[in-house]
Amino acid sequence: MDDSPPPPPPENSTPPPPPQSHTGSPTDFLKGVVGKRVIVRLNSGVDYRGILSCLDGYMNIALEQTEEHVNGRVTNRYGDAFIRGNNVLYISAAEPL
Amino acid sequence: MDPSSSGIQEPFDLIRLSLSERVFVKLRGDREMTGILHAYDGHMNLIMSDVEETITIVDTESPEGSNVSVAKRKMDMLFVRGDGVILVSPPSRS
Amino acid sequence: MASQILPLELIDRCIGSRIWVIMKGDREFTGTLLGFDDFVNMVLEDVTEYEITPQGKKKTSLAQTLLNGNNICLLIPGSNGPEES
Repeated sequence: MDDSPPPPPPENSTPPPPPQSHTGSPTDFLKGVVGKRVIVRLNSGVDYRGILSCLDGYMNIALEQTEEHVNGRVTNRYGDAFIRGNNVLYISAAEPL
Repeated sequence: MDPSSSGIQEPFDLIRLSLSERVFVKLRGDREMTGILHAYDGHMNLIMSDVEETITIVDTESPEGSNVSVAKRKMDMLFVRGDGVILVSPPSRS
Repeated sequence: MASQILPLELIDRCIGSRIWVIMKGDREFTGTLLGFDDFVNMVLEDVTEYEITPQGKKKTSLAQTLLNGNNICLLIPGSNGPEES
């Protein structure tokens, strides 16, 4: 009764994803940058420079040894800082990855 | 692989470890405050007590340096709506 | 329909190339696109940031950078940005 052919092998429908040749995705970037010195710039233009402890899917960020920079001047220092992700414009590596 | 000696796995751990401690909070609208952190949630809504709020008013018309006025006020207990939060800094962990 | 291409497929084809990113506010970036995700958060390399102020364009050079997709307005593939023309 069930004489339908078996489902085609997957390569007929969609080609398998190419091997991870370029690992440039945001997730990969974040894996590589944890524990490194980073610059976090907020939409307001304020920068936070410190060591990236960790982050989550909302781009909430925990930084260590943080310096707050406004217009190129250090305006505050924090041992630890939690930055709410909605304020984040970018996270930039400040040392070689 | 663990880059930091802090044992923090996710950013909210930083906040969790600061419960019952005095924290510094930076809010939108040039507001800053310190207070004892009693509760928080995933939006970063906060309940704080013994709060001192600092409002910095910068007059962009006058020359640099002479143009900043600071207002302070104290509140016994308050709720901070999470969407206004920019930064929370716990007391030093040393 | 046959040649229908999704917008993000076009951006996917730009990986490895220069791209010009214009934000909702007065801010632009150029860089080499290394990757992006479904939110169009982008990883860029050899980045120049341009802040457009009344005083003119303020330039900042950045190494590898994750740009939050939230405030991205336009993407211009293959362009080296405001200084190209």
